Amino acid sequence: MSAILSTQDIVVRFGVLQAVSQASIEVVEGRVTGLIGPNGAGKTTLFNVITGLQEPTAGKVFFDGKDITNKNPFKRARMGIARTFQKLEVFGSLSARENILVAAEQRKTWDRSGFDPNQVCDEILEKVGLSDVSEFMVGTLPTGTARLVELARALASNPKVLLLDEPSSGLNEEETEEMASLLRKLVEEGLGVLLVEHDMSFVMGTCQFIHVLDFGTIIATGTPAEVQANAQVQAAYLGTETVVEAS
Amino acid sequence: MRLKVSPRLISAIVVGLVVLFFVTQNWGGASVNAKTISSFLVVGIALGGIYAITAGGLVVTYATTGIFNFSHAAIGCFLAFCYWQLTVKQGLPTLVALVITLLVIAPAIGFLLDKVIMRRLRDAALVVQLMVTVGLMLTFMGITLTIWSPKTGRTLPQFFQDTKGVQLGDVTATWHRIITVVIALLVALGLRFLLYRTRLGISMRAVVDSRSLAGLTGAKPSIISGASWALGCMTAGLAGILIAPETGLVVENLTLIIVVASAAAAIAQLKSIPMAFIGGLIIGLSKSFSAVYLEWGTDWTYADEAIPAAILFIALLFLPMARLETGKIRITKRTERLTRPWEAALGAGVMIALVGAWANGWIPWISGTTFGERSTVWLGRGAGFMVIGLIMISLIPLIGWAGQVSFANFAIAGIGAVLFSHFGGQNGDALGIVYVMLVCAPLGLAIALPALRLKGLYLALATMAFAEIADKVIIRHPNMLDPSATGVLFKPVDIFGITISSDPSDRKAFLMFLVVTFSLLFFMLEMLRRSRWARRWIAMSDSPAASATIGVNLTTTKMMVFMLSGAMAGFAGCMFGLQRGALSVDSFPLFAGLPLVLLLAVQGVRYPVAAFMGVIGLASFPALYEVLGKPSWLTAIELIGPGIAAIAMAYRPEGAVFYSGRDLAGLLPWRKDARLEKELMVAKEREQNIGKDEINDMGLTRPFTQDKVAQLDRVLDITDLVDETKMVPTGGAS
Ligand SMILES: Nc1ncnc2c1ncn2[C@@H]1O[C@H](COP(=O)(O)OP(=O)(O)O)[C@@H](O)[C@H]1O
Ligand SMILES: [Mg+2]
Repeated sequence: MSAILSTQDIVVRFGVLQAVSQASIEVVEGRVTGLIGPNGAGKTTLFNVITGLQEPTAGKVFFDGKDITNKNPFKRARMGIARTFQKLEVFGSLSARENILVAAEQRKTWDRSGFDPNQVCDEILEKVGLSDVSEFMVGTLPTGTARLVELARALASNPKVLLLDEPSSGLNEEETEEMASLLRKLVEEGLGVLLVEHDMSFVMGTCQFIHVLDFGTIIATGTPAEVQANAQVQAAYLGTETVVEAS
Repeated sequence: MRLKVSPRLISAIVVGLVVLFFVTQNWGGASVNAKTISSFLVVGIALGGIYAITAGGLVVTYATTGIFNFSHAAIGCFLAFCYWQLTVKQGLPTLVALVITLLVIAPAIGFLLDKVIMRRLRDAALVVQLMVTVGLMLTFMGITLTIWSPKTGRTLPQFFQDTKGVQLGDVTATWHRIITVVIALLVALGLRFLLYRTRLGISMRAVVDSRSLAGLTGAKPSIISGASWALGCMTAGLAGILIAPETGLVVENLTLIIVVASAAAAIAQLKSIPMAFIGGLIIGLSKSFSAVYLEWGTDWTYADEAIPAAILFIALLFLPMARLETGKIRITKRTERLTRPWEAALGAGVMIALVGAWANGWIPWISGTTFGERSTVWLGRGAGFMVIGLIMISLIPLIGWAGQVSFANFAIAGIGAVLFSHFGGQNGDALGIVYVMLVCAPLGLAIALPALRLKGLYLALATMAFAEIADKVIIRHPNMLDPSATGVLFKPVDIFGITISSDPSDRKAFLMFLVVTFSLLFFMLEMLRRSRWARRWIAMSDSPAASATIGVNLTTTKMMVFMLSGAMAGFAGCMFGLQRGALSVDSFPLFAGLPLVLLLAVQGVRYPVAAFMGVIGLASFPALYEVLGKPSWLTAIELIGPGIAAIAMAYRPEGAVFYSGRDLAGLLPWRKDARLEKELMVAKEREQNIGKDEINDMGLTRPFTQDKVAQLDRVLDITDLVDETKMVPTGGAS
């Protein structure tokens, strides 16, 4: 399996702070790739580099075999990269339905397959389970629901790769479970997912492959089992006593 | 081989050539010798010093509170008048008057503004922040004009007026100028010392980065922001007092210094105090250069006054591109549902019916007054108000939906009106209106172009600069509007069989034509709001970063809305010309355009119906005067109206239309949704206010315990700092 999305030795410096150091990761279609690490490790910054919101100090980003390091964010979106945000970036004064519709209509500008944005919108609302709240302004919805709106909006642009930044924060256990099963379904349909997540049972339960980031550096890469056995990873997480394991 | 020319280099070359062109074209013939050079420097540095003081204060306030204070210079103007009152009128010694003005009145204004208004604006939308300070600017202008009637001339003496000054080569530098430069240097050093060396200053800077960070330095947030505003007012007052002897104690002149301060602030990228001082110097030297060496011909009589605005424009070209920021999203505190087509049609019908009923005298209770009798004077005024309504409605998609705050539409309308006089207005050719719209659409775009890649505040500054340039340079150019030409510029135009003109006999028809056009635009906008265009604009305004990541090309999306708004303003301009019949060169000053934006914003800039409510608001004061005579309390209300509007906006940011609309809809038996929504929102708002009170109660004083940090994080909802134990699987050991 070759990677559809990869980064090569990405470095991001904010003044004196090196937020990301030589990070190389790969995302493959049809599976969930995890990106974990303590707070401040540089996960969100790496997401910003991949989606074009943050210019890297050095390094390259490849998508679909092309170097996209210098491409505009909107061009990357049109190539098939979509994302959600750790701190919500919903369109608060549009309804949930309109949030998704905007993305579906936007897709019209590059996808000539003759789909109907309204129909796509309804399907996704159904799939994500937002049909009941579709007419509410997103600014008035609870955080957990707003996260689903962001996910739905990302799906509406029919991406090849989806980047999720802590999708389960603000969700309760039941909702997290639904989110996990939704992810599994999406991956079965061929989507590539890059997942940043703090909830370890969620990560271990959904990811087929994991990159571990600590202080901006990739310290481990492998299957969930391999990563959990890695001593460096255990050290990175709050001392060594607590063993990270799948539930 | 790579040959990459940076856009900055190209800009620099183009700007250099344009400046060179203007300099050579308008060279006054003064020889460049030691005498002229030293007088250019002496005047320029002194002027620059004053600009630097006011710009420094503006930047400090912005950098520490996040609010750009358009009323900065107006407050300075008010304080200069206070100082005049104390010295010249009351005869107090200079030093006493200075202390009272700058160390008592100025900080008092600052603290009061902070307490009553500014503190509520920290999380408000940019439009609201800007409009509140614009409202304050108009209020301070109004108060000053009322207390000190402009009919009496006043002069503020220079410091040490009676001394001779110092001989510097061939020119004498007056002590006033020398003192000015010294004070400017002291202010620069003082501000820098304060911000980098004192605890208060460090907290002030920290507050911009993060409120919790500021708390850790041990200062109360309320004191920090109060001090910022007090400091801002003091610098504004100091600059006002220093410059008034040079420009005259005239409200407009002193208030327009805001353009200068903004230009210097743009050069400083709104954050660097040393750069703000350099910016002030650049502008001072440019003005002095123009005064000493250039001789603006009759074509460019007022070009001199547009120099600061031009420098602001140029500065924008060289600013680095703004990053698409995330995590700055503002939670909306409101709900709304899309207006259905039949509701929009009904609304349009009601507007036509209301105005039609008044124009035809079917509203009985106001008859007996000239207002009720609809004298031709009043029909003409009515048409005038509707024209202003057309300008206001052109702002709805631009400001309300796309979130692009523009102060230029009144100026665009002005240019449209002048163009129409060339494009067919003088022959009564209706097609001219179309041509004007075709020109004004790209014009609207051109104004925005330098600011498209920058953050929203710069756009507001760019449009303000353009409004100033349009008034001082473009409209006054004899090829645009010949000041010596007299008589009617606009012949009556026939559109769909209706004759529209300023002629008294046509006024009723004109008014009806205007209200029908207005209603049509209203209906079209309501339909546009349901379309994918408006959705995209609103999405872009709510979160530019998220819009980009779903594939929205922000640049072209913005361009589209600027063109639409420009075309609408151009149309309004044609109507403006037809309604007036003739134009004078001073019809479109910057200060005449600002109240329109304010009026619209108070009504609710997202809602097309707000433009109609704005028209009614405009008409209400003259109408009340007509009915009630001219009671002084009404004059007082009109005077402080903008101030009331500013305060109202701080507390009710969505605008009157929204709140009254929600309450009215709640009264309708079938609108259960409206009642439900209101409950939800009130609950949500209360929740947020509880959070705010909690912070104030905590006081953020040292020692800063772990507990308090945790409490603060919870209150501020800082998800970044969730405890790391969450990494441990649920049920795991801990
Ligand atoms: N725009 C920025 N400017 C300066 N520092 C930043 C910026 N964005 C992130 N950082 C810093 O970079 C580091 C990595 O942040 P982030 O990518 O958000 O980590 P994570 O998502 O893994 O928690 C943090 O120390 C953070 O403070
Ligand atoms: Mg993060």
